Amino acid sequence: MKDKLYKAFIDATHNVFKLMLNISEISAQQAEDFRCEEEIDISIGIVGDLNGEVVFRFPAETSLRIVNIMSGMHFEEVDAFVTSAISEIANIISGNVLTAISSDSMKCDILPPVQCKLDKDREYEMETSCCISTTIGEICLVIRVNRAS
Amino acid sequence: MLWKDNYELGVPHIDAQHKELFRRVESFLKVLRSKDCWDEKIPKINETLEFMKRYVVEHFHDEEEYQRSIDYPGYEAHKQLHTGMVNYVVEVSKKYEESNNDEQLMQEFGGRLLAWLINHVAAEDQRIADYAIKKGMSGNER
Repeated sequence: MKDKLYKAFIDATHNVFKLMLNISEISAQQAEDFRCEEEIDISIGIVGDLNGEVVFRFPAETSLRIVNIMSGMHFEEVDAFVTSAISEIANIISGNVLTAISSDSMKCDILPPVQCKLDKDREYEMETSCCISTTIGEICLVIRVNRAS
Repeated sequence: MLWKDNYELGVPHIDAQHKELFRRVESFLKVLRSKDCWDEKIPKINETLEFMKRYVVEHFHDEEEYQRSIDYPGYEAHKQLHTGMVNYVVEVSKKYEESNNDEQLMQEFGGRLLAWLINHVAAEDQRIADYAIKKGMSGNER
């Protein structure tokens, strides 16, 4: 399941970046490679047969480039508009993943995006992360869930 | 420009509405993101918000009618996406009015609207076009 989730998030990110931002060149690397001074962390809660969250760690520069491509407008700083736009992208990617992995024996739903501070101390049954590298910068995904008992 | 030609579905009536929607959203974003002080922007913001509330509902209705006319199998799921967005627009409008034109609320709305609209037209609506092409009904008007 961990590998399935990992692959589903990479595929969904790839599709969303291609369709929404016209970016096709994407590669997944080890999360340890992710380096960022200023980031915006967006958490999407997962509930149902799996419980947990996926945290999208968007570097500020990448966030500004994403919103620039979508709007054609220049953004100098990460404000409420930028945060909301990248939160919706995290929501779209996660929604696509849940649709892809859902089946008769696996029912999950997602919660609305929330800006958060990544809590690295909490432990989960399944935890994986990756650094997605694109032509407009990197994004780190931290996926961590427990199976519903 | 917000609109891209590859967003076209090949259904003239729906494509025309999409273009108008993008044109209005682009105009809304330009006002929202301009350097003018917030009080000066409020009349234009309010006008666009009112338009969006009317036009989004009208467009979604027409798009759903088209889906029914071609027996699109994803009709119910697509309708749910429309309903979710309409509810969000109504909810934000209400909060905005109650907050006496809060700028932060409108900036959040603008960001989400931008990403939602692009994904909806570039991904979700394209599935309708793909289905119509597959069934040999591309370009069909209702």
